[in-house]
Amino acid sequence: MVSLARKNLLHDRIRFAITLAGVAFAVTLVLVQVGLFLGLLGKATVTIENSNADIWIVAKNTPNVDFGNPFPETVFLRARGVPGVERADNAIVQFVNIQLPSGATENSLVYGISDPAYWNLPWKVEAGRAEDLSRGYNLIMDRSAVLRFGAFDVGDYRELGGRRFRIIGRSAEAESFTTTPIVFMDFGNAQSLLDQLNGQTTYVLVKVASGYDPKEVAARLRPMFPFNDVHTRDEWAAASRGYWIESTGLGMSMGVTVFLGILVGVVIVAQTLYTSAVEHIREFGTVKAIGGSNWDIYKILGEQALIAAVCGFALGAGASYAVRPAMANLHLTVLLTPQFSGIVFVGTLAMCLSAALFSFRRVALIDPALVFRG
Amino acid sequence: MKKVLEARAVRKTFEEGTQRVEVLRGVSLDVSRGEIVSLEGPSGSGKTTLLSIMGCILTPSAGEIHIGGERISGNERALRDARRKSIGFVFQQFNLFPALTARENILYALGIKGHKGAKGEVEADRVLDAVGLSDRKHFLPRDLSGGQKQRVAIARALAGSPDVLLADEPTANLDSVVGVQILDLFRDLARSENKGLIIVTHDPKVRRVADRVTGIADGLILPEAHAA
Repeated sequence: MVSLARKNLLHDRIRFAITLAGVAFAVTLVLVQVGLFLGLLGKATVTIENSNADIWIVAKNTPNVDFGNPFPETVFLRARGVPGVERADNAIVQFVNIQLPSGATENSLVYGISDPAYWNLPWKVEAGRAEDLSRGYNLIMDRSAVLRFGAFDVGDYRELGGRRFRIIGRSAEAESFTTTPIVFMDFGNAQSLLDQLNGQTTYVLVKVASGYDPKEVAARLRPMFPFNDVHTRDEWAAASRGYWIESTGLGMSMGVTVFLGILVGVVIVAQTLYTSAVEHIREFGTVKAIGGSNWDIYKILGEQALIAAVCGFALGAGASYAVRPAMANLHLTVLLTPQFSGIVFVGTLAMCLSAALFSFRRVALIDPALVFRG
Repeated sequence: MKKVLEARAVRKTFEEGTQRVEVLRGVSLDVSRGEIVSLEGPSGSGKTTLLSIMGCILTPSAGEIHIGGERISGNERALRDARRKSIGFVFQQFNLFPALTARENILYALGIKGHKGAKGEVEADRVLDAVGLSDRKHFLPRDLSGGQKQRVAIARALAGSPDVLLADEPTANLDSVVGVQILDLFRDLARSENKGLIIVTHDPKVRRVADRVTGIADGLILPEAHAA
């Protein structure tokens, strides 16, 4: 059967273009904003996800990985004796002042790791070797530090916590949620930077032996450390993400953005479809006069909404994917996964179809006798 | 001749605010296969309302409509089925779908009437040929003259072989020469396709082709004037 819906859309191309622009704008808004949000959340857990640790032992009520609280450094020794634990080591995550060549003082997020190469922290080293961190006052600085600390080269020196460190390497992808640049060094060096860390650690990283379930090992560890929390990798990542979403109002902010995106899409699609329906009243009256039902007209409006949804989504998604390299140059990660894109696509279909519903009532009231009026 | 469409003692009352206006006051009219009836009357006489009721678009306040001898009930589904199967409309304003070509206009109407696929395409070509527009079938309405548009409208009304055609002022928007051509086409089609045809009109030229002329005034049928 001839598609009156498609032909009418193409017949009025300006209106169709406006509809598509509205849908594409809404899709782009949702994809980019939520993609930025997901990219930001990814930074909140990037060290947890990339490290070799299956379990993290943390001070009681530590809210997220960036805010490590000290506890006795001997805890790891007891953890090593638990069946299923292949290895346990101390790790420190602390904010430490860094003196810049400009004379300014900035904050750095220091990751002090015992055997950094084993724990895969840093996980992507562009220059230098993680194994060399323990050979003196050395550090590996992430390339993203350029934005806050200015340009640096391997072989340069920087002062952290009043101590002079040599930059022996450069990592990549180690960006924190707070944008504070991450610096990797040996555990002992990190411990010596702050008096409060004397004899203390902020984390114990646990590697589970092959054949053991991290959840079961974590359950064995918990009773042994009543003054600590014991998290599996997934639990710790979820807790870190949850902290930023809930405590900062970021989740609510994203929710409002998504709502506004959907609202813009619904209003534009509803408005253009409704106007189109009103302008085609005589045609719809003719459809009824020649034997068509309200359902036949609903199908026309529904098909137009679906076409607008599919084409608008394609444009919006294309724009969102295209903008990612430019955003990356600004050190902004827009995380777009096929699953998330799929959800937005289904949401776009639902948005456009619900917008079409506004026109249904109008066309249901059409009197086919209007076709006789001059 | 067998009556193909019949209105019996039809009354129609409209409510306008607190007032009740009786537009039709017990009207009876019929048309047989191959017959052309011209329904004439001044504005406000009730002729278009009668056409709407006989075309199963409006329901009468009282009285009955019979198609092929069967009474049509007043429920929406029955009226819609009657419009699909038995009635073809031709309008003063043509009422073609502007985004569809001549052939697509007919195919769409056939789709509504349940004639889809190859069967529908054969029927569309047949009726376009019957109205002499085979060479214009891929034209959009905006690219057709008034007479050609009305031919497409007639072809669309004919598509699916309804029993009766109802035409509302079909020559009102055409010049006199084209109007005569359209009326001749109506006459030829009514004969060749054996359709009943009621033409509501102010145009005296319709009498040329009508088998029967019926007048209506103030909601009442006048005594028959004369046949052509």
